[in-house]
Amino acid sequence: MNTTKSRENNILKVALAGSPNCGKTSLFNGLTGSRQHVGNYAGVTVESRNGYYTYNGERVEVRDLPGSYSLSSFSPEEMIAQQELVDARPDVVVVVVDSTALKRSLVLLAQVMQNSRKIVLCLNMSDEAKKSGQRIDLELLAKLLGFPVVETVGHRQQGLDALKEKIAEVAQKDGIKSRLMLGERLESAIEHVVDALSKTSVPEDAREWYAVKILQDDHLFVTRVLERGKPGRDALEVAKKERATIEAFTGEDVALYVTERYYGFVDGLLREVVVQVSHIDTRIQSDRIDAIVVHRVLGIPIFLLVMYAIFWLTFTVGAYPMDWIDQLFGLMADAIVTYWPNDKAMDIQSLLVDGIIGGVGGVLVFLPNIVLLFLGLAILQDSGYMSRAAFLTDRLMHRFGLHGRSFIPLVTGFGCTIPGIMATRTMENERDRLATMLVLPLMSCGARLPIWMLLIPAFFAPPLHAPMLFAIYFIGIFLAFILALILRNTVLKGEEAPFVMELPPYRLPTWRSVVSRMMLSSWLYLKKAGTMILGISVIMWALTTYPKYTASPAQETNAAASVDLASAGSNDNAQSFRQLEHSVAGRIGKAIEPLIAPLGFDWKIGVATIGAFTAKEVFVSQLGVIYALGDPGETGEDTLRESLARDYSPLIGFSLMLFLLIATPCMATIAITRKESGSWKWPALQFFGLTAIAYVLSLLVFQIGSLLGL
Amino acid sequence: MPSYGRCAYMTDEEIPMVQLSESLEDYMETIFELVRDNKLARIKDIAKARDVRSASVIPAMRRLSEMGLITYEKREYIDLTPAGERVARRVYARHRLLTRFFRDILGIPNEFAQKDACALEHSLSDVGMDYIVRFFEFIQSCPEGGDVISRLQSCALVNSDKKQCTGGCTVQRNERQVIAEQMKSLREMKPGQSCNVVRISGTGAIRQRILDMGLMPGINIYVERLSPAGDPMWIKFQGSQLSLRLKEAQMVLVEPEVK
Ligand SMILES: Nc1nc2c(ncn2[C@@H]2O[C@H](COP(=O)(O)OP(=O)(O)OP(=O)(O)O)[C@@H](O)[C@H]2O)c(=O)[nH]1
Ligand SMILES: [Mg+2]
Repeated sequence: MNTTKSRENNILKVALAGSPNCGKTSLFNGLTGSRQHVGNYAGVTVESRNGYYTYNGERVEVRDLPGSYSLSSFSPEEMIAQQELVDARPDVVVVVVDSTALKRSLVLLAQVMQNSRKIVLCLNMSDEAKKSGQRIDLELLAKLLGFPVVETVGHRQQGLDALKEKIAEVAQKDGIKSRLMLGERLESAIEHVVDALSKTSVPEDAREWYAVKILQDDHLFVTRVLERGKPGRDALEVAKKERATIEAFTGEDVALYVTERYYGFVDGLLREVVVQVSHIDTRIQSDRIDAIVVHRVLGIPIFLLVMYAIFWLTFTVGAYPMDWIDQLFGLMADAIVTYWPNDKAMDIQSLLVDGIIGGVGGVLVFLPNIVLLFLGLAILQDSGYMSRAAFLTDRLMHRFGLHGRSFIPLVTGFGCTIPGIMATRTMENERDRLATMLVLPLMSCGARLPIWMLLIPAFFAPPLHAPMLFAIYFIGIFLAFILALILRNTVLKGEEAPFVMELPPYRLPTWRSVVSRMMLSSWLYLKKAGTMILGISVIMWALTTYPKYTASPAQETNAAASVDLASAGSNDNAQSFRQLEHSVAGRIGKAIEPLIAPLGFDWKIGVATIGAFTAKEVFVSQLGVIYALGDPGETGEDTLRESLARDYSPLIGFSLMLFLLIATPCMATIAITRKESGSWKWPALQFFGLTAIAYVLSLLVFQIGSLLGL
Repeated sequence: MPSYGRCAYMTDEEIPMVQLSESLEDYMETIFELVRDNKLARIKDIAKARDVRSASVIPAMRRLSEMGLITYEKREYIDLTPAGERVARRVYARHRLLTRFFRDILGIPNEFAQKDACALEHSLSDVGMDYIVRFFEFIQSCPEGGDVISRLQSCALVNSDKKQCTGGCTVQRNERQVIAEQMKSLREMKPGQSCNVVRISGTGAIRQRILDMGLMPGINIYVERLSPAGDPMWIKFQGSQLSLRLKEAQMVLVEPEVK
């Protein structure tokens, strides 16, 4: 018997399993004090996460699993759930169910009962269920099942103590395998296969589940059993016979028969324990909202309005705190310059003012915009609107060969491409998934927001700011669709997976979740600014400062002729620009200039764009450093914008934005695409493909624009 | 353990040389059941199952072993060879099918159905068997198959001493026909309509997913709306709301509810 499994380091391992959106992560956060992402749509959690708590002196490890409707080998999240429960064998499995949809949720419980001994059933969302008039005889239910049952309200942390207590209680006991009533025919078949499996090395607790699976001819388990040598082959033989018997008997395939039997079990159970004291439709409120939000005529305009509102919020409201931060950095720079001992260690002063304040400060000022963008996305995700938006846009997505499930990853990509790509794990068809992954960098991410915030006001009049931002996002979306269509008709040709999606009721986003998400995104942004961007800014500063330029008269005249920009500025400026061109960065930029000149870009943009490969915000910090060095004594977003407006035309500005939107996804994106797609082929296609498209489009825009005299 | 047709009344010990005799077929069937249930069959068990002496089992086993249908190890343990299993399975399937045909379709009481199946399974030709299978499948899969059976069972003409058809079943039949004609796919439902799920067609992962989401035969669905573009459909059932594409909705066969 391995009921009392040896617990490593005396830690009790508990897994939270359940159907999507039933509140597992809410409970997980409540139990362990973590701040994992919670959202009101199916498929928020795509990767298992660990957390810890201590109960009565015992340390407990909780594992939050991705939601899955059943344990099977069809879709990635179902596979994960199965692996975590059947192979990792936690000490206690907490099956979390949505009390308002018991019938569907309990099928998973039936499956867990077939592979685990120590189970706690957690009836979550009990607040909503009670409101609708549903009462459950908990005692009877626990008695019928043979293990404890608790009611909880996940997002309010109610019932957690009882849950902890029951977990400890179950862990103590030597669990007995509960009997699942699946009808004589199926039960005896399972029994025979289990007998055969007892001669193999399949662990005792997992045998029933293996039996069910090989009865259904599940290829994953068949292979596993085959690996166990002769006894394994014998067991498969037995399963084959039993399968034939059942199929001959029922005229159905075993898979369906087994599912039906699960539902039979659940129905029987519910009939005994559920009492409906009244019928109150708790979704009336939600339905009223839907009547407007997904209205036949109003639905799409409302969707566009919602998206526009988010960008407007980010831009307009974000502009105020942005100004304050900008001024703060300006004051700091002024203070340093003013109080710096004359002529001593001027290089250090330049490093501080031009390199660090110009670079890191240039990125940090956009923190408010980032926070607001994430606020908008958090409200979208927590309210339940995401699945409505997916419902509205599915047809369009479908036309372009994208799957309905691509919607949420794509919108997530507005925040950051990395979680967007990870969210594609909910897609069961590999080709759908790859197509989504490859075009995801076209969703303008939060890191690119600072670029738009810098460039748009530099080149366009204030009334155009928000529409311009919306246009940039829209161009990205549009291109993503076109590319997806091309991909799905060429390298990723093939059938599309079905799309059945649950539409949860609207829920008020909880403060806790929204605030913690904003804090997290700000923290990540600050961390990136303080580490990576700081480092790159210092490198950039060094590359643009050294080697030092010492003017000789001959060079002076030469350079003055070649740099007409310099003649526009003061003598001081002319000197600085020659220094820039003389530096390492300047030389690199000059070297690639012929390549980018047809797009309207000069060497400064070229250098900044190369830097942007490390992280998109770096583009802003690079320009910050270059121009801080170029315009000595002045820093700040407005002066930077003025300099840009002076150096480039709006046409170049637009061509540049287009290029930055499309070209070279950042390093982290390439890495995650490699990891999630499992080969270098796809990130390579993504990198070179997108860069080539960016080049061609920017070229066309700039050349045609120039011809038209823009 | 349920015992599916043990032809215990046949204790014939004769062993014809050429084809598999009835008795050998019965032995094969018994061995098949024993092997399935216990992994191995022992002479003792076979004798017990067939209600004969062990001594009389042995020659039959030797015979079967010579024909390459079973392995007869250590004079005690018996297992089916692959060829043997094929033969046994065929016999077994025939037996079961005939029993069900007699019992469930013709309505012959179980005891007699079992006996007659035992008797017929050996003598029925493959062609004859094939026709019975076809009829059986027809009754099972034809939407009106159940109708035919219930009309047969309730028919006054053959079940009682009435001399003439009273047409008592037609009233009922018309109602059923209306329903059968009304069976539609969920895709054809309009927003605002309700219907009951009759069947989920299709195969594999898609079907499994639909079932996992709780769309099972018997439940009542309300079609809430279509997406503005006309494609995904928004349905409500049992307190849940789902969006599914028309392509998937087509797999859900329903019976519209008449108001
Ligand atoms: N009314 C109510 N809402 C809840 C309860 N528990 C969680 N929620 C809400 O339900 C939604 C889903 O919660 P999550 O914790 O993300 O669900 P999950 O099971 O982790 O979802 P996946 O990771 O997608 O499988 C969130 O909007 C929560 O705020 C509850 O007990 N009652
Ligand atoms: Mg979760």
